[in-house]
Amino acid sequence: MLTGTNLSKSYSSGKALDNVSIHIPPGQICGLLGRNGAGKTTLFKILCGLVKPDQGQVIINSKRSKPVGGIIERPGLYNFLNAYDNIRIFAGIQGAPTNKHAIEQTLLKVGLPLDRKDPVRNFSLGMKQRLGIAIALINDPECLVLDEPFSGLDPIGVASLISLIRKLAEEENIAILLSSHMMGEISKCCHFLYVIEKGEIVNSGTTNELINAHITSFSITASNLSSADTLKKYEVEIGTNDARVVCEAADIPALLTELLREGIQVTACTPVLTLEQLIKKAN
Amino acid sequence: MRLLLSAELLKLVKQSKTYYALGSIMVIETLILITAYFQGSTILDLLLDNLKQSFYFEGTLLNGNLIMYIVLNSLWFNVPLILMIVTSGIVTDEYKDGTMQTLMLQAVDKWKVITAKYIVAVLFTLLVIGFMMLTTFILSYSIFGSGDLVVYINTLNFFEADDAFHRICWAFASGALTMIFYCVASMTLAIFIREAAKTWIAAALFLIITTLLLKVDFVVPVINTYFFPKLIDTWQQLFYYRLDWNQIFINNAILILYTLLFAAAGTYVFHKKDIG
Repeated sequence: MLTGTNLSKSYSSGKALDNVSIHIPPGQICGLLGRNGAGKTTLFKILCGLVKPDQGQVIINSKRSKPVGGIIERPGLYNFLNAYDNIRIFAGIQGAPTNKHAIEQTLLKVGLPLDRKDPVRNFSLGMKQRLGIAIALINDPECLVLDEPFSGLDPIGVASLISLIRKLAEEENIAILLSSHMMGEISKCCHFLYVIEKGEIVNSGTTNELINAHITSFSITASNLSSADTLKKYEVEIGTNDARVVCEAADIPALLTELLREGIQVTACTPVLTLEQLIKKAN
Repeated sequence: MRLLLSAELLKLVKQSKTYYALGSIMVIETLILITAYFQGSTILDLLLDNLKQSFYFEGTLLNGNLIMYIVLNSLWFNVPLILMIVTSGIVTDEYKDGTMQTLMLQAVDKWKVITAKYIVAVLFTLLVIGFMMLTTFILSYSIFGSGDLVVYINTLNFFEADDAFHRICWAFASGALTMIFYCVASMTLAIFIREAAKTWIAAALFLIITTLLLKVDFVVPVINTYFFPKLIDTWQQLFYYRLDWNQIFINNAILILYTLLFAAAGTYVFHKKDIG
């Protein structure tokens, strides 16, 4: 469990965090949404103990030698070393096992291949993120903090990383906090969301609650959508392969049923929720 | 601490810039050796021109010992510069690559991390000086042979070959302490500044200023004797005709104290400062 209470931090450029409280229970994935410069990284650094807050406190209920592992901004790796040696160094300095079997298990846990012996500077960003997570997981921390883990990844990389994060929370009961400004990705894997704006938490709730409370439109993917009579009842923006329909979440089951009755094969229906909506609604 | 030290050593060994540093010192050394040969002949001709009219000199004075002495004189500016760049990189590279954050996110004490870095910087300095000493000895003696040493410090001093050899060995040892002082100072600067290019400029400035202050008369005798820029050329005292071992020991002991002070200041600041 990781809890930050009434955290505040100011720099010469201004207030980065203002009375922020956050709680991540074990086995839960919490998302922190915010624009660039909203205070996400400062909060992460405080939670990880890299930066001291001006006010407030971080409570970590853990008796382990390393309660929190994480990646802040980007995975900091020794680019001239291979993945194996990177793990060996970071495990070695804290007395974690550095034998071949232990290092290979750590690499396999995050889905990294064992046959890559070249320096990590040759790795893709996705592989570097995985290696960063592998290093963060050394010594079995109870909490994992991932700052912008999806940044720069292709859709396959994002999907694969989401699956890894879910697995870590479910199978290892790790409390995970991750940040992003990408609504779609974060809403796919988080149980709980916090929205931060100008150093303050402006909105929070379970992912479903927030989506239900703030969603105003849905993206429906199907063929022949332009000819659908059902959609004429709604405000619709027709795209090449989809239509953006403005409606309440409660209207969706009926809408889909009517579309099916019309013979339109719906292949996807996803809520369209932007960060701006979450921030605006809160204000 | 042992684990941190072995990790730091592994990083140093695996980095190509370590070998670039050793290579560049070898290049500088070879160039100095070549110029020392020609410079040595000219210096000897100038110094001994009058004496040759009154005295008869047996054997050649342009020998391995004189070349070693000239190499010693020439290296004490170039080598610290390279060493300062490499050792400050032990800290600045970690900030640049984000590995300092990753290190601090592990179950390790901050002070232990930075102490391990200081120790590795000192070990690397000793390795470089040892390497430099060994290669200079081999090259100088194999090419120019042994012989008596003539040096000019206020007056002409002549040392027999064996005595000269011992003095040169001790000069390297004393010079190594000066190098360690510069490396520790550059690491401390790196902790304060964090950025590589800015640290290099600050380190070069530090080296130039200390070299300039060495010649400045501060009027107050205590400052003239014990201010750190006045201690960086203690190795020269090993070529005075009458050796004052007591003074050499005190100077080096005080320089070690200054080194520890710089390291303590760096460790304190690193411990207090936020990472990132």
